[in-house]
Amino acid sequence: MNEILNGIRVVDLTRVLAGPYTTRILADFGAEVIKVQSNKSATGAEVNTSAYFSGWNRNKRSITLDLSHPEARELFLKLTAISNIVIENFSPRVMANWGLQYQSLKTVNPDLIMISMSAMGQTGPWKDSVAFGPTIQALSGLTYLTSFDKDAPLGPGYAYGDIVAGLYAVIAILAALETRDRDGNGQYIDLSEYEALSGLMGPALMDVAVNQREVLPQGNGPCYLPAAPHGCYRCSGRDKWCAIAVFTDEEWQALKGVMGNPEWAEQERFSELSSRQTHAQELDALLGQWTVKHDPKGLMQILQEAGVPAGVVQSSEDLAQDPQLRARRYFIRRKDAGPGLTTADAFPAIFNGARTGRWKAAPLLGEDNHYVFVELLGLEENELRSYMERGIIG
Amino acid sequence: MKDKKSDPEKTSPLRGIQVLDLADEKASFCSKLLADLGARVIKVERPGGDALRNNGPFWKDTPHLGRSLSFWFNNTNKLGITLDIEKRAGREIFLRLLKKADVLIETFAPGYLTQVGLGFQVLCRINPGIILASVTGFGQTGPQSAYKSCDLIAAAMGGQMYVTGDPSQPPLKLYGEQSYYTASLVAVISILLALRRRNMTGRGEQIDISMQEAVASTLEHVMISYFHDHVIAERQGSLFWNREFCMVRCKDGFMLVTLFQHWETLVGWMDSEGMAEDLMDDSWKDEAYRLEQLDHVIDVVNAWTSTHTTHELFELSQLMRFPWAPIQSPKDVLESPQLKARGFLGSVEYPQNGKRIPFPNLPFRYSSLELKSPGRAPLIGEHNAQILQGELGLSDIEIVHLRSKGVI
Repeated sequence: MNEILNGIRVVDLTRVLAGPYTTRILADFGAEVIKVQSNKSATGAEVNTSAYFSGWNRNKRSITLDLSHPEARELFLKLTAISNIVIENFSPRVMANWGLQYQSLKTVNPDLIMISMSAMGQTGPWKDSVAFGPTIQALSGLTYLTSFDKDAPLGPGYAYGDIVAGLYAVIAILAALETRDRDGNGQYIDLSEYEALSGLMGPALMDVAVNQREVLPQGNGPCYLPAAPHGCYRCSGRDKWCAIAVFTDEEWQALKGVMGNPEWAEQERFSELSSRQTHAQELDALLGQWTVKHDPKGLMQILQEAGVPAGVVQSSEDLAQDPQLRARRYFIRRKDAGPGLTTADAFPAIFNGARTGRWKAAPLLGEDNHYVFVELLGLEENELRSYMERGIIG
Repeated sequence: MKDKKSDPEKTSPLRGIQVLDLADEKASFCSKLLADLGARVIKVERPGGDALRNNGPFWKDTPHLGRSLSFWFNNTNKLGITLDIEKRAGREIFLRLLKKADVLIETFAPGYLTQVGLGFQVLCRINPGIILASVTGFGQTGPQSAYKSCDLIAAAMGGQMYVTGDPSQPPLKLYGEQSYYTASLVAVISILLALRRRNMTGRGEQIDISMQEAVASTLEHVMISYFHDHVIAERQGSLFWNREFCMVRCKDGFMLVTLFQHWETLVGWMDSEGMAEDLMDDSWKDEAYRLEQLDHVIDVVNAWTSTHTTHELFELSQLMRFPWAPIQSPKDVLESPQLKARGFLGSVEYPQNGKRIPFPNLPFRYSSLELKSPGRAPLIGEHNAQILQGELGLSDIEIVHLRSKGVI
């Protein structure tokens, strides 16, 4: 099948997660992503044979260029000239120090789309701050608000912020491509991960601003749409839980029915949604005494069959075995040889009934040096060797 | 960067794209993002107004259909009409609008559109280039596709809650309607991809997005640990899963700190204030030993950070290139000098009195493309006349008739 982004070449300078996740999506849909690495940079999350790297860098190519070297920068410009997109996630000064800022790249490729996805954005008093996903989560308010108690912040159990920034970056790039196709204009995009995540706190920010109040952590309570019960209830077994959310009177009646209409549920204080919300704590405790006798999967099934929104709090193992995800081929397998992961998630959308399951193993360090420098840029074999011997390609 | 006003020199990236929006809370944010990018989005509400208008928080804490802040957040820059697509007359009007549309976004239970005579095949006959994006709890297919979902259920079934929170407490959902936002971001990407394919083939596309999958796709290390190392990730409290970050107390709040990068710089700093206790000893230079005695390390660091404000620690740690940050509250975010300097917070006007309130912009800027500053969400049926009469050419009498039948 002809992939949507066939013919789009991306020069990828990004590292670790947010940037590589962006280019993974572009590569999943057929873009030729050329990851620019170097012997020096290929450490930690950037070790090509690690599982983490192989998860975010499938379908990409790898070249090695030591950009601290002027001749490497000339090769970089040549590659830029025959590419469509350049993407980087360094601190703002890095590209400028190399003389590789948008203004310079544009001179070799006028309709280039370049995106800088830094923690803070390219401007502002904090632009040079050092930050990873968890740092951004802390700054955005998400860590503070994701908790049961304002004096004990918890935050997401993983680098959610990087994924959000990665998704926004894909949107920014695809929208710029749409414009380029229409009127031929290149584009520079300045994305801030801090803004990406803070934006998702929108209603809380507006609430503070308009109502001059403190917005506090909600635990598992409903944020905006009123519901009760609404939470996570213990089930039988070690660390087994089921989430239940009751928005309407119909759902409440159905839940009571599944429980066998126990006497406690008929109390006046639980009859109306607003009053159930007021007595949410007692309600949660009583409901928990019932759920704990049940296996979470069976509980979800009987509740859903009765029309009550319910879902198992699934672990990674549950997800891997989830019949719904299986039926929809959400997890894909890699068939070729190569180090790293062999099972991972596909892009979470199905197009005309088909899942994009493209997966060529993540590249080894510099695996595509010959392809890029000789076949694409037209270097002679001995030139390539000379660059390699001098550590410019390396 | 200053708050941008419309610049006639610049064009928006999605100029000319027409979107019909039938989405509820699951994907309102998707069409809002398309509107911010310059698409013309017509939100189709049921007569009387979208149920989302009942969602808090409210301006001045007064529940009112015109005062829902979460509704405003999800609906800036859209046009609004009312239409009952379950009635024949409503469906006919809808199909006339569809003829001119590029994208239709919907979030009904799988099968509903087909049931009311608006299945993808029908839509395609009327408009072969239509892109139909459906966002549902579990997707259009599979044994659980009819299951009910919401932000909480998707967070549970998508694996987010199991790894979020403290081991001594129940699993925890992320704050805000993150499942909806994630699914919406995925939907925008999918729609832009489909538009690009349509530019080449002229054909529309049916996009099927499951909130469960969208949430699961954010899990970072969780599935990698399982598939590669057969490790089931669990809740870690305030300590980050890979032990690289943890949260400690300060005089005025909490701080996210690293314990293992730049160890010697860190203990040197603590020692200069007489707070390093035994951590200067050589044995602590061994990272494995530190991991083994992690509780002690955290205790000592906590005792030291408790003598500082988050502001002091943020400034000094960043000078030393530590990726530390204060755990900010929403109020801190509103007052952030960084966000202010970049004009991230635009403002949207109250429909009632024209006052303006802060509102987040998109998190990126283009060098030569305009993004729409937030325009307020539509009032109920605000653009009925403009769209139904101005564009579809319905007469006054027809409008009166449709209104009396409860179609609009």
